[in-house]
Amino acid sequence: MLLAVLIANSEGNILVERFNGVPAEERLHWRSFLVKLGADNLKGVKNEELLVASHKSVFIVYTVLGDVSIFVVGKDEYDELALAEAIFVITSALKDVCGKPPTERLFLDKYGKICLCLDEIVWKGLLENTDKERIKRLVRLKPPTEF
Amino acid sequence: MAQPLVKKDDDRDDEAEYSPFLGIEKGAVLQEARVFNDPQLDARRCSQVITKLLYLLNQGETFTKIEATEVFFSVTKLFQSRDIGLRRMVYLMIKELSPSADEVIIVTSSLMKDMNSRTDMYRANAIRVLCRITDGTLLTQIERYLKQAIVDKNPVVASAALVSGIHLLQTNPEIVKRWSNEVQEAVQSRAALVQFHALALLHQIRQNDRLAVSKLVTSLTKGTVRSPLAQCLLIRYTSQVIRESGVNTQTGDRPFYDYLEGCLRHKAEMVIFEAARAITVLSGVTTRELTPAITVLQLFLSSSKPVLRFAAVRTLNKVAMTHPMAVTNCNIDMESLISDQNRSIATLAITTLLKTGNESSVDRLMKQITNFMSDIADEFKIVVVDAIRSLCLKFPLKYRSLMNFLSNILREEGGFEYKKAIVDSIVILIRDIPDAKESGLLHLCEFIEDCEFTYLSTQILHFLGNEGPKTSDPSKYIRYIYNRVILENATVRASAVSTLAKFGAMIDSLKPRIFILLRRCLFDNDDEVRDRATLYLNTLGGDGSVVETDKDVKEFLFGSLDIPLTNMETSLKNYIQNPSEEPFDINSVPKEVKSQPLVEKKAPGKKPTGLGAPPTGPTSTADTYERILSSIPEFTSFGKLFKSSAPVELTEAETEYAVNVVKHIFDRHVVFQYNCTNTIPEQLLENVFVIVDASEAEEFSEVGSKPLKSLPYDTPGQTFVAFEKPEGVPAVGKFSNMLRFTVKEVDTSTGEAEDDGVEDEYQLEDFEVVAADYMVKVGVSNFRNAWESMGPDFERIDEYGLGPRESLAEAVSTVINLLGMQPCEGTEVVPSNSRSHSCLLSGLYIGNMKVLVRLSFGIDASKEVAMKLAVRSEDENVSDTIHDIVASG
Repeated sequence: MLLAVLIANSEGNILVERFNGVPAEERLHWRSFLVKLGADNLKGVKNEELLVASHKSVFIVYTVLGDVSIFVVGKDEYDELALAEAIFVITSALKDVCGKPPTERLFLDKYGKICLCLDEIVWKGLLENTDKERIKRLVRLKPPTEF
Repeated sequence: MAQPLVKKDDDRDDEAEYSPFLGIEKGAVLQEARVFNDPQLDARRCSQVITKLLYLLNQGETFTKIEATEVFFSVTKLFQSRDIGLRRMVYLMIKELSPSADEVIIVTSSLMKDMNSRTDMYRANAIRVLCRITDGTLLTQIERYLKQAIVDKNPVVASAALVSGIHLLQTNPEIVKRWSNEVQEAVQSRAALVQFHALALLHQIRQNDRLAVSKLVTSLTKGTVRSPLAQCLLIRYTSQVIRESGVNTQTGDRPFYDYLEGCLRHKAEMVIFEAARAITVLSGVTTRELTPAITVLQLFLSSSKPVLRFAAVRTLNKVAMTHPMAVTNCNIDMESLISDQNRSIATLAITTLLKTGNESSVDRLMKQITNFMSDIADEFKIVVVDAIRSLCLKFPLKYRSLMNFLSNILREEGGFEYKKAIVDSIVILIRDIPDAKESGLLHLCEFIEDCEFTYLSTQILHFLGNEGPKTSDPSKYIRYIYNRVILENATVRASAVSTLAKFGAMIDSLKPRIFILLRRCLFDNDDEVRDRATLYLNTLGGDGSVVETDKDVKEFLFGSLDIPLTNMETSLKNYIQNPSEEPFDINSVPKEVKSQPLVEKKAPGKKPTGLGAPPTGPTSTADTYERILSSIPEFTSFGKLFKSSAPVELTEAETEYAVNVVKHIFDRHVVFQYNCTNTIPEQLLENVFVIVDASEAEEFSEVGSKPLKSLPYDTPGQTFVAFEKPEGVPAVGKFSNMLRFTVKEVDTSTGEAEDDGVEDEYQLEDFEVVAADYMVKVGVSNFRNAWESMGPDFERIDEYGLGPRESLAEAVSTVINLLGMQPCEGTEVVPSNSRSHSCLLSGLYIGNMKVLVRLSFGIDASKEVAMKLAVRSEDENVSDTIHDIVASG
């Protein structure tokens, strides 16, 4: 299960937070845990360089893209490698929507589109689409090109 | 030059001010949402409002029931718009709002229409939304369309239906299971993602049908799998099939191994790792099988990508637990990871090295770790502390340097959990390595001189009270203890008073001096401290004379409360709620341990906060068993519990009732504890007991049993059967078991059971009592010393041919398991390719007889293994018995 996708700005404020199968009372804990993890480790990291952490049986893969930091959390079959795949899809879709690694402003400008992309990528904790070209078409309700 | 810079900063400020969501407020956005009701819809504006609503929801904002309903109804009006972008937003919004069952009806007709639309993308999205909000009744209506969608030509539609199926399987399994033909067809799809989703769903549908899974794996491993993700799933399922089928005994080949090995050369890293992991967890994996997997993992250790390094070191860390020798080749790469920037990787590398290192490398490793400890977080330090504890138990001779390391880190800064891990480790080392006791206790004493955690201080004081008096010079601890009375808070002071009393009770010569200290405590400003001091002065006979303490008093001071604390709490609460003239009677508290719920709710990412450990360290399962058994009056006459076995499963996984048995061995009795779990929500089992047929266990005769009154769904319970056996004889035999019970239907909506039940029974698997059940694993810190001091009086030596074996390691582990003894000094690990090996074992045989065993193995070119067995024990019969066990095993 892909437990969470979280996107924050450089100050650690949450821009997008999507949880799957995480009880409401634990979400706040997760949020602060991830933001702290980012603050401790993401300084000076290059765009899209993947960092990894684990806590008990839960894995976290995270990275920076422009002004935003992206975290994905998973367990069981969503181990560090599957999460790396998921975060790769998310970063490519973001770059595609924003045209470049986004500033916070640009990210917020494209907020609706970004939500649609995330909806195509992760559906209730399962990875659904992995190809950015296809995602780009799907959010505009266009069928995939290969079809 | 300065101007452009200033300008840039100005730009930034402007940008921040222009955030489209600046000052966003829920009430205002909900007002704005009224545009959804406009007769002339402005699609652009509606999309903007939905974006704002999504922003609020993604920030963790929640809508009240009324607010959500209102927004939901307005959003459904947007189906009138033909704007495609808006429609896509509407789908997402409905999913986010997840309307309640009575509201869904409003939107179903629109969604059903979209589901049959000619526009593929409407179909795909309508499926996803419907499946998200639907319930069982609606699902049967749309099932036909979903089945069609699974085999739709458009991969997005097919994937939408398949992923919906995966989610719906949790809530409506019987419906989704009917789709297996369509899903089977989708597995053959040329679209990579459709195949991936179909494979996942098909496996979930058929996971309990071994034959079907095996067929699926067989056909796909020969066919084409189009995406790395699907390939990973296939490897996982293959690994499951291998686990269930075992090695082909005739050829010695393992089915599907070639497939896994082939995946190690796949171009996707994800697949390589999955295959390597599958190989490393094969049961009884041989060195030959393991080598290619270890080799690829080793290559990834020096990858430039942290994720790959992490994945590699994590896998190798797991391998090191079972096959430390196989990982030693990677040690050099692993050592360079100690300085890895990513602390998770560094910690895993350290703990792996601690597992694979040999006795001679311990000191060098400790030096490296000391530098490393200062710059990692507490949670990583805890992992390292645990690894060091295991290392110390493996190489007891190295306790000095390891104990020093622990005491050094104990003095440094750290949070509660970290300090607790260190203290727990020192306590365990003191218990298991007698030589380490005195220095360990002194380290703990120094720690409480400056300890900020009340819980840890009291824990250590309690431990000190039990262990301190048994040391060579108990008086040296008194100063540390009495300092607590002067310097600490009331809780610690009270604890220190109890500890002082224990020293007084155990050591008569110290008694007069202890009394002086206790009398000073009578003037403490805390009630509890004064009460305890008064109590102890009276119970120990406060006249200060050097007399032996009464047995009852010692029992009172050192005995444990044999009542579960939760029961005590409940009884006391009841007593307070119903005031009575009668004083509280501790004998009225039930001693039965309440069963724990089956699935403990796990909080991912949360640090463990519960202080699970009782004052003297972590509760062992043995203590729990002892408490359970002593609470059953029928078994109290059996005397002291000698050993409890690990649970033996008597049912297969995923059956209606899960039962395992724990064998409790006493001098003249054995008690079988059947742990039962009812996995059917619609059933309540009552009067549950096991009929045991002991016809193949002649020396055993049944003497009693204790049925389980009630076994509700998901709450494990225990039933017991006791047998008598000849004293001191390691009687063995086979037992057949039948579970009997009365089953009652339960209405799952109300949780109430029907009054009438039906008697039923359920066949369980057989199990055996074997010789190893009469042996407790007890290690010795220095085998050579122990061997010499035992002396050759009752030594028995003999030689055995073990016939052709798979490997030397397999022969060694078979003999260790047969005897059930504790391997010492890491001698259970056989270096690969060695032709001979010596193994040292130690144990305690029934009747509390110490036994030491020296095994020398040799293997020849035809894999014939010969073994020399030398036994020393405190009784010649025991030495002979060990030989009998080996001869008959």
